[in-house]
Amino acid sequence: MNLNELTIKEAHKLLEGKEITSVELAKAHFDEIKRRDKDIHAFLSLNEEEALEAAKKVDERISRGEPIEMLAGIPAAIKDIILIKGIKVTAASKILENYIAPYDATVIKKLKEEEAVFIGKTNMDEFAMGSSTENSAFGPTRNPVDLERVPGGSSGGSAAAVKAGFSVYALGSDTGGSIRQPAGFCGVVGFKPTYGAVSRHGLIAMASSLDQIGSIARNVDDAAAVFEIIRGVDELDSTSVDLDWQDYWNSPLDIEEIKIGIPREYFIHGLNPEIEKNIKSVISKLEKEGAKIEEISLPYSEWALATYYIIMPAEVSANLARFDGIKYGFSTINKEEKLQNLFDVYLKSRGEGFGAEVRRRIMLGTYILSAGYYDAYYTRAQKVRRLIKQDFDRAFKEVDVILTPTSPTTAFKFGEKTQDPLSMYLADVYTVSVNLAGVPGISIPVKEADGLPVGLQLIGKNFDDVKLLKIAKIIETIIK
Amino acid sequence: MALTKKEVEKIAELARLGLAEKEKEKFAEDLSSVIGYIQKLSEVNVEKVEPMAGGTSLESVMRKDDETKCLSDSQMRGQILNASPNREDDYFKVPSIFE
Repeated sequence: MNLNELTIKEAHKLLEGKEITSVELAKAHFDEIKRRDKDIHAFLSLNEEEALEAAKKVDERISRGEPIEMLAGIPAAIKDIILIKGIKVTAASKILENYIAPYDATVIKKLKEEEAVFIGKTNMDEFAMGSSTENSAFGPTRNPVDLERVPGGSSGGSAAAVKAGFSVYALGSDTGGSIRQPAGFCGVVGFKPTYGAVSRHGLIAMASSLDQIGSIARNVDDAAAVFEIIRGVDELDSTSVDLDWQDYWNSPLDIEEIKIGIPREYFIHGLNPEIEKNIKSVISKLEKEGAKIEEISLPYSEWALATYYIIMPAEVSANLARFDGIKYGFSTINKEEKLQNLFDVYLKSRGEGFGAEVRRRIMLGTYILSAGYYDAYYTRAQKVRRLIKQDFDRAFKEVDVILTPTSPTTAFKFGEKTQDPLSMYLADVYTVSVNLAGVPGISIPVKEADGLPVGLQLIGKNFDDVKLLKIAKIIETIIK
Repeated sequence: MALTKKEVEKIAELARLGLAEKEKEKFAEDLSSVIGYIQKLSEVNVEKVEPMAGGTSLESVMRKDDETKCLSDSQMRGQILNASPNREDDYFKVPSIFE
């Protein structure tokens, strides 16, 4: 039995049956990290002492014969943009290099109540801005499938950690594809819930109307198990929603009841032909098994990426104004003998603390929101955002889910896209619409192309997350 | 649309970002290429479309302003203050603003 390949459900059963201990499970993961993370660099920091202590507590409960929660004693890796009280949280930025979280994010509070075991904090693009983890201030993560290639991003460390056997599952955040795209590149499952389903309290903000916390896992069941714990209304996030969620486990769907929409705009030039072939073969398989397949149109897809690159940087420039070299984080305030004025403290702290991509996006947002450009860019983008949302509303009157590739390419090589930011942005062309519309999306691995993982994206209706997961599970089962 | 080095300097100043001299040309080039790309939205007819302001359809979510929930946690309060690079007692210290 390989302890580094277990799913949540398998690990839970083994713990309950006293076949393994939680301490053994945690140690197996730390051993694997020590053996291979020098090469992969999925983690920015490890949490070994506290993790083993938490594991020990769960073992004591099991030995007393107490029932344990589904996630109890099971290793979890947390993207380093989510706060765990008392532990460093850097957002992979020099500006937060030494910042200690003063409180727990709501998702962490919920996982602690389950007695989850936090292995460590995972690497990412700085402030979640990027699609390859090459923008991390602390060096990139390598794809465990092929060390010459990127793991995707921004939650690249989380996806790599799950793929490499460093953790059973991981939390990530997704603003324009940052969970789904790296999950696709690494060959694991990545689930971005509906905006508002999971509290964002304690997630360092990038673009607040798009950000959402979700999970990276080995299969759909695991993504559902984590979702069940982290979702729910939270008074510390006024965009979170109070809902009675459908049950995932006990009422499976029949494939013949499912209507799947295939948007023609997602199968155009720029899509790797091998990926197209693999996705299309899944579609014919589904049709053979009795699912109804329908070609649909999301006509405003063509403008989604441009809309995203207006709304996101606008929100970024506002959110990241809080890093001022005064309240917390990297500062030049004590650095120079000569008395500086306040303006210089801002300029130097932010200029030296933020990396190039973060500064690029702050400047882009500042430009977009500046007098004379606001209506031409920002207001117009908000209007197109509504048209994109209406595309989805219309489609979901006809179909239950929409099926697309997660990304137009497989994992690319380091340095391939870093010189030209626009070419990097195109990596998210199939994922950003989901965030603009607020709908849930999941990426599941399908047949590889040229030896590299391929992700299939399923998109659901707002707050139909459980149905989306059930359909993803059916597809996962059929293609196995 | 191409941004000049001078425009980049102006934007960076508005954004309170220090730029090294040699970075300015590269930023001008990068930003110009992205701004060129987002012009694409001018192709869309947005007449009579209401702007979508956020990711949710919730409206006016209220809660009680209850300070006992967070800042009365003295440990958290201490940690928040300790994170400041330059403080005196419970105050953040800033350089003088008026000459």
